[in-house]
Amino acid sequence: MTEHIDADDLALMAASFEAVMAEAPGPGEADQALYDLGWGELLAAAPGPAAAMAFSALGTTGSAATLLEDVVAHALGLPFSPDVCVLIPDTFHAIPAAPQPGEPRIFNQEEPLEVDGLVSSRIDRAATVVTVMDGKYGPELTSFEAGFLRGRGATGVDPAHAYRHLSVRVAAHFLTPLETEATWESAVAAARVALAHQLIGGARWMLAEARQHALDRVQFGHPVASFQSIRHKLAESLVQIEGAASVAEACLHDPDPLLAGLAKSLAGQAALTTATHAQQVLAGMGFTAEHRFHLWLKRTLVVDTLFGSANSLPAEIGRDLLTRGTAPRLIQL
Amino acid sequence: MDLETFRRDLTDWLDANADDLTPPYEGFGSMDEQMAHYAHVKRALFDAGFGRYGWPESVGGLGGSPLLRAIVGEEANLRGLTDPNPWTMIEVLAPTVIEFAQPEISARFVPPFMRGDEMWCQGFSEPDAGSDLASLSCRATKTDGGWLVSGQKIWTSFIQYSSRCVLLTRTGEPGSAHRGITALLVDVDSPGVSYSPIETMHGRLDFAEVHYDEVFVPEDRLIGEENGGWQMAMDILPYERSTTFWQRGALLHRRLSDLVAQVSASGNHSDTAAKTLGQAYQSLMAFRSRSRDTQHRLDSGQQLGVETSIDKILITTAEQQLFEAVRNLLPGVIEFHEGLTAARWRTDYLYSKAASIYGGTSEVQRNIVARRLLDLGPES
Ligand SMILES: Cc1cc2nc3c(=O)[nH]c(=O)nc-3n(C[C@H](O)[C@H](O)[C@H](O)COP(=O)(O)OP(=O)(O)OC[C@H]3O[C@@H](n4cnc5c(N)ncnc54)[C@H](O)[C@@H]3O)c2cc1C
Repeated sequence: MTEHIDADDLALMAASFEAVMAEAPGPGEADQALYDLGWGELLAAAPGPAAAMAFSALGTTGSAATLLEDVVAHALGLPFSPDVCVLIPDTFHAIPAAPQPGEPRIFNQEEPLEVDGLVSSRIDRAATVVTVMDGKYGPELTSFEAGFLRGRGATGVDPAHAYRHLSVRVAAHFLTPLETEATWESAVAAARVALAHQLIGGARWMLAEARQHALDRVQFGHPVASFQSIRHKLAESLVQIEGAASVAEACLHDPDPLLAGLAKSLAGQAALTTATHAQQVLAGMGFTAEHRFHLWLKRTLVVDTLFGSANSLPAEIGRDLLTRGTAPRLIQL
Repeated sequence: MDLETFRRDLTDWLDANADDLTPPYEGFGSMDEQMAHYAHVKRALFDAGFGRYGWPESVGGLGGSPLLRAIVGEEANLRGLTDPNPWTMIEVLAPTVIEFAQPEISARFVPPFMRGDEMWCQGFSEPDAGSDLASLSCRATKTDGGWLVSGQKIWTSFIQYSSRCVLLTRTGEPGSAHRGITALLVDVDSPGVSYSPIETMHGRLDFAEVHYDEVFVPEDRLIGEENGGWQMAMDILPYERSTTFWQRGALLHRRLSDLVAQVSASGNHSDTAAKTLGQAYQSLMAFRSRSRDTQHRLDSGQQLGVETSIDKILITTAEQQLFEAVRNLLPGVIEFHEGLTAARWRTDYLYSKAASIYGGTSEVQRNIVARRLLDLGPES
C-alpha cells in the first residue's frame, strides 16, 4: 500500500470531486459519481490524503455525499462497500479505552444493544450497520442487518445533510461481532481528521462570502470592509482557520489519536467562530433563506457534533493529559 | 544534517552536562544571575559546536539549516536552562545583520554575540512612535566618516547588558515616514549614549529609556541602504517569528506540562479542569503546528512575510490562555501564595500580559491580516 500520491494528480482529483459535488449537493446524490471517479481506489491507496482532499471538497461545496462511512470502514479494515452504514453513537467518547492485548473481549449477550446515534442516508440502501458498544473490557465493534432502520431518523436543523438522529434497540442475537484487527480508536481518529477538513473547507467558504460582501456593501459612504471591527472579525476567523488547518494537515498519515482530536476540536472552533463572524458581517442578507450562508452555518453545527464537538473535545483531551500527567510534544520540526 | 540525529546528539550532550548547564540559582533568579547564566550556557553550546550550527561560516558558524538553531533553542528551553528572552535577541537581530550589514562588520561582531560574550539590543520604539513605528524621529545626520545620532528611544530591552544596539534612525525629511529611515549598528558604550532602566509590572528592569546625544557612528556600521532601514526592520519580523517563537513555544509547553502535573497530582480531575487544560493545550498545538510549517518554509528558502502575523496572534493567544488557566486551576497561587513555585507562576502570569503588546500589538497584527492577507482594502 502506498501512502504517497502525486500532488498534481490529487489536485486534478480535487477539481473533479468538487465539480461532481457541486452538481449534486443533496444527501448521497453525488456518491455514485464519486465512486466512478475512483474514490474507493484512492482511499485504499492513500487514505490520509484522499480523505483530506474529499472532505475539503465537501466543506467548500456544501455537498452531502456520504463518504464518512468509507473512511471509518477503511480504518476498521473492512472492504470498501457502498452497502455499509456506520451508526455513530452519541456517547462514543465516553467509551473506556480499548482492551489491553491478551485480555478477553466479551459481549454481554443477555442485554439488547441500545444506541442513540447518527446514521447517514445510506441507511436506506445499506445491507449492514456497523457500530460500537461498551464491551466489558472496552469498545466492542459489532454489526447487524440494516433493513429495519430504513427511512427512520430525524434530520433536524440541516435536512440537506446526510445525517439523521435515531435511537436503536437490537436484540443481542442479531449482533455479529466484527472480525478485525483494527480498533475503534483508529476509526475515530480517521473520522475526526476527515471531518476537520470538512469544517475548515466550510469555514473558508463562509469567510470568502463574508469578505466579498464586506467589500461590496457600502454604508456611510464606505465599503463596510473599511471598518476596523469588521476587519478584525474576519482577521480573527482567518487566524483560527489557519491554525486548525495546520494541525489537520499534520494528521495526513496515521495520526496520533490525540492529535486527531485536537484537529477536530480546533476545526470546529474555527468554523463556529467564522460562522458567527460571517453572520454578523452579512447581517440582514445572511439571515435570509435566499442567501446560501445559512446552509453552511447549519452544516457547521451538524459536522461539529459528529465524533466529538469543539465543546466536548477539550475536556476529553484534558482528561487524557491529566491521566498522562504531562502535555505530550506531538509535532516535531 | 538529519534533524533527529542532531537532536539526539544534542540531548545526549545536554543530559551529560546537566550539572554545569542547570541554573545555579533557585527559581527565577535575579536579572544579573539570569544574564550571567545565559552567557555561560551560550558559551558552552558554542564550544561544544551545537551553538554554531545553523549559522553561516562567514560569522563563525558551522552552517546548516536554521532548523538546527530552533532545535537547540527548543531543547534548552524545555529543560529550563535559561530565560528565553535574552536568547531571542540573537535570533531576532543576528540573521538580519548578517543579511544586511557589510560582511566585515558581521564577521567581527556576530561571533561574540553567538558565543554569549556580548549582548545586543533593539532600539526601535520611541515615546511618540510605538505601533506607528514609521513616524520615528531619532535623527542621524551625516558627518565626516559617519553619522551623528540624536534623539530618544524607549522600551529598549536589555540595553544595560548590551554592547551593541540595532538602531532605527530618521535620515530623511521629518515627514518621510518609512522612506527616510536608516538602520545603524551602534556601540552602546559610545560617548553620548545614556539610559535609565524602567521597572516592569512584573518587577524587573527589562527595558530602558535611552537618550542619544550627538553619538558618533562610523559609516561602516550602516545596516542595509541609507534610507532603506524600513526594509531591514520588516525583514526582522519573520526571523523574530520563526526560531524565536519556536523557543518561546517550547517554554510554554514546559509550563503547560508543569501545570498538568500539578493539577493531576492535586487530584482535581473535574470536567472544568479537564476542559481548561484541553483548551490551553489545543491553542498551543495550533501555534506549534503553524510555527513548524513556517520554519520549514524558511528552511526551503521561501521569503517569509506578513503571513507570520498569524503565528504572532496564535502564540499570543496560547500564552495568555495558558496563564489564565494557571490562575483558574491553581486558585490563590498568583494572588497570594509564597515560595519559589508560586513566584515563578506569578512572574510568568504577569509577563504573559506583554505578549499582545511587544513585537507589534495584537490589533496591529489583525490590521495586517485584514489588509495584506484578506485584501480588504484601506481602512476608513
Ligand atoms: C516587554 C516589552 C519589551 C519590549 N522591548 C522592546 C525592544 O527591545 N525594543 C523596542 O524597540 N521596543 C520594545 N518594546 C516596545 C513595543 O514594540 C511597543 O510597546 C509596541 O510596538 C506598541 O507600542 P506602544 O506601547 O507605544 O502602544 P501604542 O502604539 O501607543 O498603542 C496603544 C493601543 O492602541 C492600539 N493601536 C495603535 N494603533 C492602532 C491601529 N492602527 N489600529 C488599532 N489599534 C491601534 C494598540 O494596539 C494598543 O492597544 C517592548 C515592549 C514590551 C511590552
